[in-house]
Amino acid sequence: MLGLIELRRRRLQFFLIGLIVTLISYLVAMINGLGLGLNVLAGSALKSFDADAIAYSDASGLSVIRSELSAETIARVLAAPGVEEGAPLGYVAANVRTAAGEIENAAFLGFDPGTIGEPRVIEGRPLRPGELDGMLADREFLRFTGYRLGDVVPVSLRLQTREYRIVGVIDEGYFFFQPAVYILRDAWRSLRYGDAANAPEASIVLLKGKGLPGLRGDGFEVVDKETAFANIEGVAGQQSTVAALQAFGYLIGTLVVGVFFYVLTLQKVPHIGVLKALGASSSYVFRQLLVQVLVIASAALAVAIPLAMVTGRLIQRLPDPVPIAFDGRTLAFTTALLLVASVVGAAFSLRRILTVDPVIALGQQQ
Amino acid sequence: MLEVVELSKTYFGAAEPVHAVRGATFSARRGEFLAIVGPSGSGKTTLLAMIGGLLTPTSGSIVVDGEAIDRFDARRLAAYRRSRVGFVFQANNLLPFLTARENLLVMADIGGVDRRTARERADRLLEELGLTHRAAALATELSGGERQRVAIARALMNDPALILVDEPTAALDSTRGRQVVESLKAEIKSRNKLGIMVTHDLAMAALCDRVLEMHDGELRELSPTASME
Repeated sequence: MLGLIELRRRRLQFFLIGLIVTLISYLVAMINGLGLGLNVLAGSALKSFDADAIAYSDASGLSVIRSELSAETIARVLAAPGVEEGAPLGYVAANVRTAAGEIENAAFLGFDPGTIGEPRVIEGRPLRPGELDGMLADREFLRFTGYRLGDVVPVSLRLQTREYRIVGVIDEGYFFFQPAVYILRDAWRSLRYGDAANAPEASIVLLKGKGLPGLRGDGFEVVDKETAFANIEGVAGQQSTVAALQAFGYLIGTLVVGVFFYVLTLQKVPHIGVLKALGASSSYVFRQLLVQVLVIASAALAVAIPLAMVTGRLIQRLPDPVPIAFDGRTLAFTTALLLVASVVGAAFSLRRILTVDPVIALGQQQ
Repeated sequence: MLEVVELSKTYFGAAEPVHAVRGATFSARRGEFLAIVGPSGSGKTTLLAMIGGLLTPTSGSIVVDGEAIDRFDARRLAAYRRSRVGFVFQANNLLPFLTARENLLVMADIGGVDRRTARERADRLLEELGLTHRAAALATELSGGERQRVAIARALMNDPALILVDEPTAALDSTRGRQVVESLKAEIKSRNKLGIMVTHDLAMAALCDRVLEMHDGELRELSPTASME
Protein backbone atom coordinates (compact mmCIF):
# COMPACT_ATOMS: atom_id res chain seq x y z
CA MET A 1 0.00 0.00 0.00
CA LEU A 2 2.62 2.50 1.17
CA GLY A 3 5.04 1.83 -1.70
CA LEU A 4 2.41 2.38 -4.37
CA ILE A 5 1.03 5.55 -2.76
CA GLU A 6 4.55 6.99 -2.54
CA LEU A 7 5.07 6.21 -6.23
CA ARG A 8 1.92 8.18 -7.03
CA ARG A 9 2.71 11.11 -4.79
CA ARG A 10 6.39 11.53 -5.69
CA ARG A 11 5.86 11.28 -9.39
CA LEU A 12 8.69 13.54 -10.46
CA GLN A 13 11.31 11.78 -8.32
CA PHE A 14 10.23 8.33 -9.47
CA PHE A 15 9.81 9.50 -13.06
CA LEU A 16 13.42 10.67 -13.11
CA ILE A 17 14.65 7.40 -11.60
CA GLY A 18 12.48 5.53 -14.11
CA LEU A 19 13.94 7.62 -16.92
CA ILE A 20 17.50 6.66 -15.96
CA VAL A 21 16.55 2.98 -15.70
CA THR A 22 14.79 3.27 -19.07
CA LEU A 23 17.87 4.78 -20.72
CA ILE A 24 20.17 2.16 -19.24
CA SER A 25 17.81 -0.63 -20.32
CA TYR A 26 17.60 0.93 -23.78
CA LEU A 27 21.39 1.10 -24.00
CA VAL A 28 21.79 -2.53 -22.95
CA ALA A 29 19.10 -3.63 -25.43
CA MET A 30 20.75 -1.63 -28.23
CA ILE A 31 24.19 -3.11 -27.51
CA ASN A 32 22.62 -6.57 -27.65
CA GLY A 33 20.83 -5.68 -30.85
CA LEU A 34 24.05 -4.46 -32.45
CA GLY A 35 25.89 -7.60 -31.35
CA LEU A 36 23.18 -9.80 -32.75
CA GLY A 37 23.09 -7.69 -35.91
CA LEU A 38 26.80 -8.29 -36.44
CA ASN A 39 26.26 -12.02 -36.00
CA VAL A 40 23.47 -11.93 -38.56
CA LEU A 41 25.74 -10.09 -40.94
CA ALA A 42 28.52 -12.59 -40.35
CA GLY A 43 26.55 -15.63 -41.28
CA SER A 44 22.84 -15.93 -40.67
CA ALA A 45 22.66 -18.03 -43.85
CA LEU A 46 25.10 -20.51 -42.32
CA LYS A 47 23.07 -20.67 -39.14
CA SER A 48 19.87 -21.29 -41.07
CA PHE A 49 21.29 -24.22 -43.06
CA ASP A 50 19.05 -27.25 -42.66
CA ALA A 51 21.99 -29.28 -41.34
CA ASP A 52 23.34 -30.81 -38.14
CA ALA A 53 26.98 -30.51 -39.18
CA ILE A 54 29.25 -29.26 -41.95
CA ALA A 55 32.17 -31.06 -43.59
CA TYR A 56 35.26 -29.10 -44.71
CA SER A 57 38.39 -30.25 -46.50
CA ASP A 58 40.90 -31.20 -43.83
CA ALA A 59 43.50 -28.79 -45.18
CA SER A 60 41.22 -25.77 -45.04
CA GLY A 61 41.49 -24.98 -41.34
CA LEU A 62 37.67 -24.76 -41.31
CA SER A 63 37.76 -21.87 -43.78
CA VAL A 64 34.95 -22.06 -46.29
CA ILE A 65 37.07 -19.88 -48.60
CA ARG A 66 39.95 -22.38 -48.64
CA SER A 67 37.86 -25.52 -48.41
CA GLU A 68 37.68 -27.45 -51.70
CA LEU A 69 36.21 -30.92 -51.96
CA SER A 70 36.60 -33.37 -54.81
CA ALA A 71 33.86 -35.76 -55.90
CA GLU A 72 35.73 -38.62 -54.19
CA THR A 73 36.02 -36.75 -50.90
CA ILE A 74 32.33 -35.84 -51.05
CA ALA A 75 31.49 -39.51 -51.59
CA ARG A 76 33.59 -40.46 -48.55
CA VAL A 77 31.87 -37.78 -46.46
CA LEU A 78 28.43 -39.03 -47.45
CA ALA A 79 29.46 -42.61 -46.68
CA ALA A 80 30.84 -41.72 -43.24
CA PRO A 81 29.20 -43.38 -40.20
CA GLY A 82 26.20 -41.49 -38.83
CA VAL A 83 25.54 -39.53 -42.01
CA GLU A 84 21.86 -39.79 -42.93
CA GLU A 85 21.68 -37.09 -45.56
CA GLY A 86 24.11 -34.68 -47.20
CA ALA A 87 24.35 -31.94 -49.76
CA PRO A 88 27.52 -30.49 -51.29
CA LEU A 89 27.55 -26.71 -51.36
CA GLY A 90 29.86 -24.33 -53.18
CA TYR A 91 30.85 -20.84 -52.08
CA VAL A 92 32.43 -17.93 -53.87
CA ALA A 93 32.37 -14.17 -53.37
CA ALA A 94 31.72 -12.30 -56.60
CA ASN A 95 31.20 -8.73 -57.70
CA VAL A 96 27.71 -7.62 -58.55
CA ARG A 97 26.86 -4.50 -60.49
CA THR A 98 23.90 -2.98 -58.65
CA ALA A 99 20.88 -1.42 -60.30
CA ALA A 100 22.51 1.94 -59.59
CA GLY A 101 25.68 0.84 -61.38
CA GLU A 102 27.85 0.39 -58.29
CA ILE A 103 29.97 -2.67 -57.60
CA GLU A 104 29.13 -4.65 -54.48
CA ASN A 105 30.07 -8.06 -53.13
CA ALA A 106 27.68 -10.97 -52.76
CA ALA A 107 28.10 -14.53 -51.49
CA PHE A 108 27.26 -17.02 -54.25
CA LEU A 109 26.28 -20.44 -52.92
CA GLY A 110 25.97 -23.35 -55.30
CA PHE A 111 23.44 -26.04 -54.37
CA ASP A 112 21.65 -29.03 -55.86
CA PRO A 113 17.85 -28.78 -56.12
CA GLY A 114 15.97 -31.24 -53.93
CA THR A 115 18.74 -31.53 -51.34
CA ILE A 116 19.03 -30.08 -47.84
CA GLY A 117 21.19 -27.34 -49.39
CA GLU A 118 18.22 -25.84 -51.21
CA PRO A 119 16.90 -22.64 -49.59
CA ARG A 120 13.19 -22.00 -49.05
CA VAL A 121 11.75 -19.67 -51.67
CA ILE A 122 9.38 -17.03 -50.26
CA GLU A 123 8.54 -15.32 -53.54
CA GLY A 124 8.85 -16.40 -57.17
CA ARG A 125 9.84 -20.03 -57.79
CA PRO A 126 12.69 -22.45 -57.01
CA LEU A 127 15.52 -23.02 -59.47
CA ARG A 128 14.97 -25.88 -61.89
CA PRO A 129 17.68 -28.48 -62.63
CA GLY A 130 19.82 -27.21 -65.47
CA GLU A 131 18.75 -23.60 -65.05
CA LEU A 132 22.33 -22.34 -65.03
CA ASP A 133 21.45 -18.68 -65.59
CA GLY A 134 18.93 -18.44 -62.75
CA MET A 135 19.48 -17.26 -59.21
CA LEU A 136 17.63 -17.14 -55.92
CA ALA A 137 18.35 -13.79 -54.30
CA ASP A 138 18.04 -13.01 -50.64
CA ARG A 139 15.79 -10.13 -49.60
CA GLU A 140 18.84 -8.34 -48.24
CA PHE A 141 20.54 -8.74 -51.63
CA LEU A 142 17.54 -7.13 -53.34
CA ARG A 143 17.48 -4.28 -50.83
CA PHE A 144 21.22 -3.86 -51.15
CA THR A 145 21.38 -3.87 -54.94
CA GLY A 146 18.02 -2.40 -55.85
CA TYR A 147 17.07 -5.37 -58.07
CA ARG A 148 13.69 -7.03 -58.11
CA LEU A 149 12.32 -10.44 -58.95
CA GLY A 150 12.75 -11.06 -62.67
CA ASP A 151 15.70 -8.67 -63.10
CA VAL A 152 18.96 -9.77 -64.69
CA VAL A 153 22.04 -9.29 -62.51
CA PRO A 154 25.54 -8.85 -64.00
CA VAL A 155 28.12 -10.78 -61.93
CA SER A 156 31.88 -10.42 -62.42
CA LEU A 157 34.63 -12.79 -61.36
CA ARG A 158 38.04 -13.59 -62.82
CA LEU A 159 37.67 -10.88 -65.51
CA GLN A 160 34.49 -12.47 -66.81
CA THR A 161 30.96 -11.18 -66.49
CA ARG A 162 27.97 -13.49 -66.40
CA GLU A 163 24.30 -12.69 -66.09
CA TYR A 164 21.75 -14.36 -63.86
CA ARG A 165 18.02 -13.80 -63.76
CA ILE A 166 16.37 -13.57 -60.33
CA VAL A 167 13.68 -16.27 -60.40
CA GLY A 168 13.01 -16.50 -56.68
CA VAL A 169 13.43 -14.59 -53.44
CA ILE A 170 14.73 -16.25 -50.29
CA ASP A 171 15.16 -15.17 -46.68
CA GLU A 172 18.46 -16.71 -45.64
CA GLY A 173 20.29 -13.52 -44.72
CA TYR A 174 24.03 -13.01 -44.94
CA PHE A 175 27.01 -15.24 -45.53
CA PHE A 176 30.47 -13.92 -44.74
CA PHE A 177 29.16 -10.40 -44.19
CA GLN A 178 27.65 -10.41 -47.72
CA PRO A 179 24.06 -10.92 -48.82
CA ALA A 180 23.52 -14.51 -49.96
CA VAL A 181 22.64 -15.57 -53.51
CA TYR A 182 21.92 -19.18 -54.46
CA ILE A 183 22.71 -20.61 -57.89
CA LEU A 184 22.93 -24.19 -59.10
CA ARG A 185 26.14 -26.00 -58.13
CA ASP A 186 27.10 -26.48 -61.78
CA ALA A 187 26.68 -22.72 -62.33
CA TRP A 188 28.79 -22.09 -59.21
CA ARG A 189 31.58 -24.36 -60.51
CA SER A 190 31.57 -22.49 -63.79
CA LEU A 191 31.51 -19.11 -62.02
CA ARG A 192 34.32 -19.95 -59.65
CA TYR A 193 36.59 -22.21 -61.72
CA GLY A 194 35.61 -21.49 -65.33
CA ASP A 195 36.31 -24.43 -67.59
CA ALA A 196 39.22 -25.78 -65.54
CA ALA A 197 39.64 -29.51 -65.61
CA ASN A 198 39.42 -31.36 -62.28
CA ALA A 199 37.77 -28.39 -60.59
CA PRO A 200 36.51 -29.12 -57.05
CA GLU A 201 32.90 -30.21 -56.77
CA ALA A 202 32.02 -28.19 -53.67
CA SER A 203 33.39 -26.08 -50.85
CA ILE A 204 31.60 -27.83 -48.02
CA VAL A 205 29.04 -30.57 -47.45
CA LEU A 206 25.94 -29.96 -45.33
CA LEU A 207 25.17 -33.06 -43.27
CA LYS A 208 22.29 -34.48 -41.29
CA GLY A 209 22.78 -37.34 -38.86
CA LYS A 210 23.80 -38.21 -35.35
CA GLY A 211 27.18 -37.78 -33.68
CA LEU A 212 28.71 -36.10 -36.71
CA PRO A 213 30.67 -33.16 -35.19
CA GLY A 214 34.26 -34.20 -34.61
CA LEU A 215 34.18 -36.80 -37.35
CA ARG A 216 37.38 -36.94 -39.42
CA GLY A 217 38.09 -38.92 -42.53
CA ASP A 218 40.37 -39.06 -45.52
CA GLY A 219 40.49 -35.43 -46.73
CA PHE A 220 37.70 -34.01 -44.60
CA GLU A 221 36.65 -33.01 -41.11
CA VAL A 222 33.18 -32.39 -39.72
CA VAL A 223 32.11 -29.72 -37.23
CA ASP A 224 28.80 -28.44 -35.89
CA LYS A 225 27.25 -25.19 -37.17
CA GLU A 226 28.35 -23.19 -34.14
CA THR A 227 31.98 -24.14 -34.71
CA ALA A 228 31.63 -23.42 -38.41
CA PHE A 229 30.15 -20.01 -37.60
CA ALA A 230 32.90 -19.20 -35.10
CA ASN A 231 35.49 -20.06 -37.79
CA ILE A 232 34.17 -17.59 -40.33
CA GLU A 233 37.06 -15.21 -40.97
CA GLY A 234 36.77 -12.21 -38.64
CA VAL A 235 33.94 -13.69 -36.61
CA ALA A 236 36.07 -14.86 -33.67
CA GLY A 237 37.44 -11.35 -33.09
CA GLN A 238 34.04 -9.81 -33.66
CA GLN A 239 32.37 -12.29 -31.30
CA SER A 240 34.77 -11.51 -28.48
CA THR A 241 34.31 -7.76 -29.02
CA VAL A 242 30.53 -8.13 -29.04
CA ALA A 243 30.63 -10.42 -25.99
CA ALA A 244 32.78 -7.86 -24.15
CA LEU A 245 30.35 -5.08 -25.11
CA GLN A 246 27.41 -7.14 -23.91
CA ALA A 247 29.16 -8.07 -20.68
CA PHE A 248 30.05 -4.42 -19.97
CA GLY A 249 26.53 -3.37 -20.91
CA TYR A 250 25.00 -5.87 -18.50
CA LEU A 251 27.52 -5.06 -15.78
CA ILE A 252 27.10 -1.29 -16.03
CA GLY A 253 23.34 -1.66 -16.40
CA THR A 254 23.18 -3.85 -13.31
CA LEU A 255 25.37 -1.52 -11.28
CA VAL A 256 23.59 1.68 -12.28
CA VAL A 257 20.14 0.23 -11.70
CA GLY A 258 21.26 -1.32 -8.42
CA VAL A 259 22.94 1.87 -7.22
CA PHE A 260 19.90 3.96 -8.07
CA PHE A 261 17.64 1.82 -5.96
CA TYR A 262 20.19 1.83 -3.17
CA VAL A 263 20.30 5.64 -3.26
CA LEU A 264 16.51 5.63 -3.21
CA THR A 265 16.68 3.62 0.02
CA LEU A 266 19.25 5.96 1.56
CA GLN A 267 16.90 8.88 0.95
CA LYS A 268 14.19 7.05 2.84
CA VAL A 269 16.19 6.26 5.96
CA PRO A 270 14.33 8.81 8.18
CA HIS A 271 10.96 7.43 7.06
CA ILE A 272 12.17 3.88 7.50
CA GLY A 273 13.18 4.79 11.05
CA VAL A 274 9.67 6.09 11.73
CA LEU A 275 8.04 3.02 10.23
CA LYS A 276 10.23 0.74 12.32
CA ALA A 277 9.51 2.78 15.43
CA LEU A 278 5.82 2.29 14.71
CA GLY A 279 6.46 -1.46 14.68
CA ALA A 280 6.97 -2.16 10.98
CA SER A 281 9.19 -5.17 10.43
CA SER A 282 12.18 -4.91 8.09
CA SER A 283 10.38 -7.28 5.72
CA TYR A 284 7.39 -4.92 5.61
CA VAL A 285 9.66 -1.99 4.73
CA PHE A 286 11.53 -4.08 2.15
CA ARG A 287 8.28 -5.20 0.53
CA GLN A 288 7.27 -1.56 0.01
CA LEU A 289 10.62 -0.84 -1.61
CA LEU A 290 10.45 -3.99 -3.71
CA VAL A 291 7.02 -3.02 -5.05
CA GLN A 292 8.42 0.35 -6.11
CA VAL A 293 11.50 -1.22 -7.69
CA LEU A 294 9.47 -3.74 -9.65
CA VAL A 295 6.98 -1.13 -10.84
CA ILE A 296 9.75 1.25 -11.95
CA ALA A 297 11.87 -1.47 -13.56
CA SER A 298 8.88 -3.03 -15.34
CA ALA A 299 7.70 0.33 -16.63
CA ALA A 300 11.22 1.22 -17.75
CA LEU A 301 11.64 -2.09 -19.59
CA ALA A 302 8.17 -1.81 -21.10
CA VAL A 303 9.33 1.45 -22.67
CA ALA A 304 13.00 0.66 -23.36
CA ILE A 305 12.64 -2.70 -25.15
CA PRO A 306 9.99 -1.62 -27.70
CA LEU A 307 11.90 1.65 -28.13
CA ALA A 308 15.08 -0.27 -28.96
CA MET A 309 13.15 -2.42 -31.44
CA VAL A 310 11.62 0.66 -33.09
CA THR A 311 15.08 2.26 -33.25
CA GLY A 312 16.39 -0.92 -34.86
CA ARG A 313 13.68 -0.79 -37.51
CA LEU A 314 14.33 2.87 -38.20
CA ILE A 315 18.05 2.18 -38.54
CA GLN A 316 17.25 -0.57 -41.03
CA ARG A 317 15.48 1.99 -43.20
CA LEU A 318 18.56 4.17 -43.47
CA PRO A 319 20.30 4.11 -46.87
CA ASP A 320 23.41 2.62 -45.27
CA PRO A 321 22.02 0.76 -42.26
CA VAL A 322 24.00 -0.31 -39.21
CA PRO A 323 23.58 -4.06 -38.60
CA ILE A 324 21.12 -4.47 -35.76
CA ALA A 325 18.82 -7.31 -34.93
CA PHE A 326 16.66 -8.47 -32.05
CA ASP A 327 15.43 -11.88 -31.16
CA GLY A 328 12.97 -12.97 -28.52
CA ARG A 329 15.54 -14.95 -26.56
CA THR A 330 18.01 -12.07 -26.23
CA LEU A 331 15.28 -9.59 -25.37
CA ALA A 332 13.78 -11.95 -22.79
CA PHE A 333 17.24 -12.46 -21.32
CA THR A 334 17.93 -8.71 -21.22
CA THR A 335 14.55 -8.03 -19.63
CA ALA A 336 15.01 -10.76 -17.03
CA LEU A 337 18.56 -9.66 -16.25
CA LEU A 338 17.63 -6.02 -15.72
CA LEU A 339 14.68 -7.02 -13.56
CA VAL A 340 17.00 -9.22 -11.51
CA ALA A 341 19.51 -6.34 -11.36
CA SER A 342 16.80 -4.08 -9.97
CA VAL A 343 15.86 -6.62 -7.34
CA VAL A 344 19.54 -7.19 -6.51
CA GLY A 345 19.94 -3.41 -6.15
CA ALA A 346 16.95 -3.43 -3.83
CA ALA A 347 18.46 -6.39 -1.98
CA PHE A 348 21.61 -4.32 -1.33
CA SER A 349 19.22 -1.87 0.29
CA LEU A 350 17.86 -4.60 2.53
CA ARG A 351 21.10 -4.55 4.48
CA ARG A 352 20.68 -0.80 5.00
CA ILE A 353 17.03 -1.25 5.96
CA LEU A 354 17.99 -3.87 8.54
CA THR A 355 20.50 -1.50 10.10
CA VAL A 356 18.17 1.50 10.41
CA ASP A 357 17.69 2.06 14.13
CA PRO A 358 14.06 2.92 14.92
CA VAL A 359 15.22 5.18 17.74
CA ILE A 360 16.06 7.84 15.11
CA ALA A 361 12.33 8.49 15.02
CA LEU A 362 12.73 10.14 18.41
CA GLY A 363 15.20 12.56 16.92
CA GLN A 364 18.00 11.23 19.04
CA GLN A 365 20.87 9.03 17.98
CA GLN A 366 23.01 8.57 21.00
CA MET B 1 0.04 -2.77 33.86
CA LEU B 2 3.55 -1.26 33.70
CA GLU B 3 6.35 -1.96 36.14
CA VAL B 4 9.73 -0.40 35.69
CA VAL B 5 12.32 -1.78 38.13
CA GLU B 6 15.85 -0.46 38.65
CA LEU B 7 16.08 0.49 34.98
CA SER B 8 19.41 1.83 33.76
CA LYS B 9 20.87 2.83 30.45
CA THR B 10 24.54 3.54 29.92
CA TYR B 11 26.09 4.61 26.62
CA PHE B 12 29.63 3.38 26.14
CA GLY B 13 30.43 5.08 22.85
CA ALA B 14 32.10 8.16 24.33
CA ALA B 15 35.45 8.33 26.14
CA GLU B 16 33.57 8.24 29.44
CA PRO B 17 30.43 6.09 29.83
CA VAL B 18 27.25 8.19 29.88
CA HIS B 19 24.69 7.07 32.45
CA ALA B 20 21.51 8.33 30.80
CA VAL B 21 19.10 6.55 33.16
CA ARG B 22 20.10 5.32 36.64
CA GLY B 23 17.95 2.78 38.45
CA ALA B 24 14.55 4.21 37.50
CA THR B 25 11.69 2.49 39.30
CA PHE B 26 7.97 3.20 39.04
CA SER B 27 4.71 1.52 38.17
CA ALA B 28 1.52 2.68 36.49
CA ARG B 29 -1.86 1.28 35.61
CA ARG B 30 -4.39 1.63 32.80
CA GLY B 31 -6.37 4.84 32.79
CA GLU B 32 -3.45 6.85 34.16
CA PHE B 33 -1.78 9.72 32.36
CA LEU B 34 1.78 10.30 33.58
CA ALA B 35 4.15 13.12 32.83
CA ILE B 36 7.91 12.79 32.98
CA VAL B 37 9.55 16.18 33.29
CA GLY B 38 13.13 17.29 33.45
CA PRO B 39 15.71 19.42 31.73
CA SER B 40 17.24 18.51 28.39
CA GLY B 41 19.67 15.60 28.66
CA SER B 42 18.15 14.37 31.90
CA GLY B 43 17.35 11.00 30.35
CA LYS B 44 13.57 11.28 30.08
CA THR B 45 13.39 10.48 26.38
CA THR B 46 15.78 7.58 26.85
CA LEU B 47 13.47 6.21 29.56
CA LEU B 48 10.49 6.61 27.20
CA ALA B 49 12.41 4.88 24.37
CA MET B 50 13.17 1.90 26.62
CA ILE B 51 9.54 1.58 27.71
CA GLY B 52 8.53 1.78 24.04
CA GLY B 53 10.97 -0.94 23.00
CA LEU B 54 13.14 1.39 20.93
CA LEU B 55 16.16 1.05 23.17
CA THR B 56 17.43 -1.91 25.15
CA PRO B 57 18.17 -1.24 28.81
CA THR B 58 21.65 -1.87 30.21
CA SER B 59 20.08 -3.32 33.37
CA GLY B 60 16.76 -3.51 35.17
CA SER B 61 13.42 -4.66 33.85
CA ILE B 62 10.31 -3.36 32.15
CA VAL B 63 7.22 -5.49 32.66
CA VAL B 64 4.13 -4.74 30.57
CA ASP B 65 1.02 -6.74 31.38
CA GLY B 66 3.19 -9.39 33.03
CA GLU B 67 5.75 -9.69 30.18
CA ALA B 68 9.35 -8.56 30.59
CA ILE B 69 9.90 -6.68 27.34
CA ASP B 70 13.56 -6.03 28.14
CA ARG B 71 14.15 -9.68 27.23
CA PHE B 72 12.49 -9.42 23.82
CA ASP B 73 14.56 -9.82 20.67
CA ALA B 74 14.28 -7.27 17.82
CA ARG B 75 11.45 -9.15 16.15
CA ARG B 76 9.32 -9.37 19.30
CA LEU B 77 10.07 -5.75 20.09
CA ALA B 78 8.76 -4.73 16.64
CA ALA B 79 5.59 -6.77 17.30
CA TYR B 80 5.31 -5.14 20.74
CA ARG B 81 5.60 -1.66 19.23
CA ARG B 82 3.01 -2.24 16.52
CA SER B 83 0.38 -3.92 18.69
CA ARG B 84 0.81 -2.64 22.23
CA VAL B 85 2.42 0.78 21.93
CA GLY B 86 1.24 3.99 20.32
CA PHE B 87 3.89 6.66 19.79
CA VAL B 88 3.40 10.40 19.46
CA PHE B 89 6.75 11.89 18.49
CA GLN B 90 8.06 15.37 19.16
CA ALA B 91 8.27 16.10 15.42
CA ASN B 92 5.04 14.12 14.86
CA ASN B 93 6.91 12.15 12.16
CA LEU B 94 3.95 11.86 9.84
CA LEU B 95 4.92 10.57 6.42
CA PRO B 96 4.83 13.77 4.36
CA PHE B 97 3.67 12.21 1.11
CA LEU B 98 0.59 10.71 2.73
CA THR B 99 -2.70 12.36 3.65
CA ALA B 100 -3.86 12.53 7.25
CA ARG B 101 -6.11 9.53 6.69
CA GLU B 102 -3.41 7.52 4.89
CA ASN B 103 -1.00 8.12 7.78
CA LEU B 104 -3.53 6.34 9.98
CA LEU B 105 -4.14 3.57 7.45
CA VAL B 106 -0.39 2.84 7.20
CA MET B 107 -0.34 2.17 10.93
CA ALA B 108 -3.19 -0.30 10.46
CA ASP B 109 -1.38 -1.84 7.48
CA ILE B 110 1.72 -2.37 9.64
CA GLY B 111 -0.48 -3.89 12.34
CA GLY B 112 -2.13 -6.26 9.88
CA VAL B 113 -5.62 -4.81 10.44
CA ASP B 114 -8.00 -5.57 7.57
CA ARG B 115 -8.72 -2.66 5.26
CA ARG B 116 -12.39 -2.25 6.02
CA THR B 117 -11.85 -2.18 9.78
CA ALA B 118 -8.88 0.16 9.27
CA ARG B 119 -10.93 2.62 7.21
CA GLU B 120 -13.77 2.64 9.76
CA ARG B 121 -11.33 3.09 12.65
CA ALA B 122 -9.40 5.88 10.89
CA ASP B 123 -12.57 7.81 10.04
CA ARG B 124 -13.84 7.47 13.62
CA LEU B 125 -10.56 8.68 15.11
CA LEU B 126 -10.33 11.61 12.71
CA GLU B 127 -13.88 12.57 13.66
CA GLU B 128 -13.16 12.31 17.39
CA LEU B 129 -10.14 14.54 17.02
CA GLY B 130 -11.99 17.06 14.85
CA LEU B 131 -10.00 16.29 11.73
CA THR B 132 -12.62 14.87 9.37
CA HIS B 133 -12.45 17.96 7.15
CA ARG B 134 -8.64 17.54 6.90
CA ALA B 135 -8.63 13.80 6.20
CA ALA B 136 -7.60 14.20 2.57
CA ALA B 137 -4.97 16.88 3.23
CA LEU B 138 -1.33 15.90 2.85
CA ALA B 139 0.66 15.90 6.08
CA THR B 140 2.65 18.85 4.76
CA GLU B 141 -0.56 20.86 4.31
CA LEU B 142 -1.63 20.48 7.95
CA SER B 143 -0.95 23.01 10.68
CA GLY B 144 1.32 22.05 13.60
CA GLY B 145 -1.64 21.37 15.89
CA GLU B 146 -3.43 19.34 13.23
CA ARG B 147 -0.32 17.29 12.62
CA GLN B 148 -0.01 16.45 16.32
CA ARG B 149 -3.66 15.46 16.49
CA VAL B 150 -3.18 13.21 13.47
CA ALA B 151 -0.15 11.75 15.26
CA ILE B 152 -2.37 11.07 18.30
CA ALA B 153 -4.96 9.40 16.08
CA ARG B 154 -2.21 7.31 14.49
CA ALA B 155 -0.98 6.25 17.93
CA LEU B 156 -4.49 5.01 18.74
CA MET B 157 -5.07 3.22 15.40
CA ASN B 158 -4.06 -0.27 16.51
CA ASP B 159 -5.77 0.13 19.89
CA PRO B 160 -2.57 -0.18 21.95
CA ALA B 161 -2.56 -0.35 25.73
CA LEU B 162 0.31 2.08 26.12
CA ILE B 163 0.51 5.59 24.60
CA LEU B 164 4.00 7.12 24.72
CA VAL B 165 4.30 10.79 23.93
CA ASP B 166 7.54 12.72 23.44
CA GLU B 167 7.34 16.50 23.80
CA PRO B 168 4.09 16.81 21.83
CA THR B 169 3.81 20.56 22.31
CA ALA B 170 7.40 21.54 21.55
CA ALA B 171 6.49 23.13 18.22
CA LEU B 172 3.14 24.59 19.30
CA ASP B 173 2.07 27.75 21.08
CA SER B 174 0.69 27.31 24.58
CA THR B 175 -2.98 27.42 23.57
CA ARG B 176 -2.62 24.85 20.82
CA GLY B 177 -0.28 22.81 23.00
CA ARG B 178 -2.86 22.67 25.74
CA GLN B 179 -5.58 21.64 23.24
CA VAL B 180 -3.41 18.82 21.96
CA VAL B 181 -2.61 17.50 25.46
CA GLU B 182 -6.24 17.76 26.50
CA SER B 183 -7.29 15.81 23.39
CA LEU B 184 -4.68 13.22 24.25
CA LYS B 185 -5.80 12.97 27.85
CA ALA B 186 -9.44 12.62 26.82
CA GLU B 187 -8.58 9.76 24.46
CA ILE B 188 -6.43 8.02 27.09
CA LYS B 189 -9.15 8.28 29.71
CA SER B 190 -12.04 7.32 27.47
CA ARG B 191 -10.19 4.28 26.11
CA ASN B 192 -8.65 3.27 29.44
CA LYS B 193 -5.05 3.41 28.15
CA LEU B 194 -1.87 4.13 30.04
CA GLY B 195 -0.36 7.39 28.78
CA ILE B 196 3.18 8.55 29.49
CA MET B 197 4.20 11.97 28.25
CA VAL B 198 7.72 13.36 28.29
CA THR B 199 7.74 17.15 28.49
CA HIS B 200 9.81 20.01 29.77
CA ASP B 201 6.66 22.15 30.01
CA LEU B 202 5.39 22.06 33.59
CA ALA B 203 2.06 23.60 32.58
CA MET B 204 1.41 20.65 30.29
CA ALA B 205 2.65 18.22 32.91
CA ALA B 206 0.12 19.68 35.31
CA LEU B 207 -2.67 18.31 33.09
CA CYS B 208 -1.52 14.76 33.92
CA ASP B 209 -2.51 12.55 36.85
CA ARG B 210 1.06 12.06 38.09
CA VAL B 211 4.35 13.77 37.42
CA LEU B 212 7.74 12.07 37.58
CA GLU B 213 10.89 14.11 37.40
CA MET B 214 14.16 13.02 35.81
CA HIS B 215 17.37 14.67 36.85
CA ASP B 216 20.79 13.41 35.75
CA GLY B 217 19.20 10.07 34.92
CA GLU B 218 17.51 9.65 38.28
CA LEU B 219 13.74 9.47 38.59
CA ARG B 220 11.54 10.71 41.43
CA GLU B 221 7.83 11.33 41.82
CA LEU B 222 6.56 14.92 42.20
CA SER B 223 2.82 14.46 42.35
CA PRO B 224 0.19 15.36 43.26
CA THR B 225 0.00 17.49 40.15
CA ALA B 226 -2.46 19.87 41.73
CA SER B 227 0.41 21.39 43.69
CA MET B 228 2.09 22.41 40.43
CA GLU B 229 -0.81 24.46 39.13
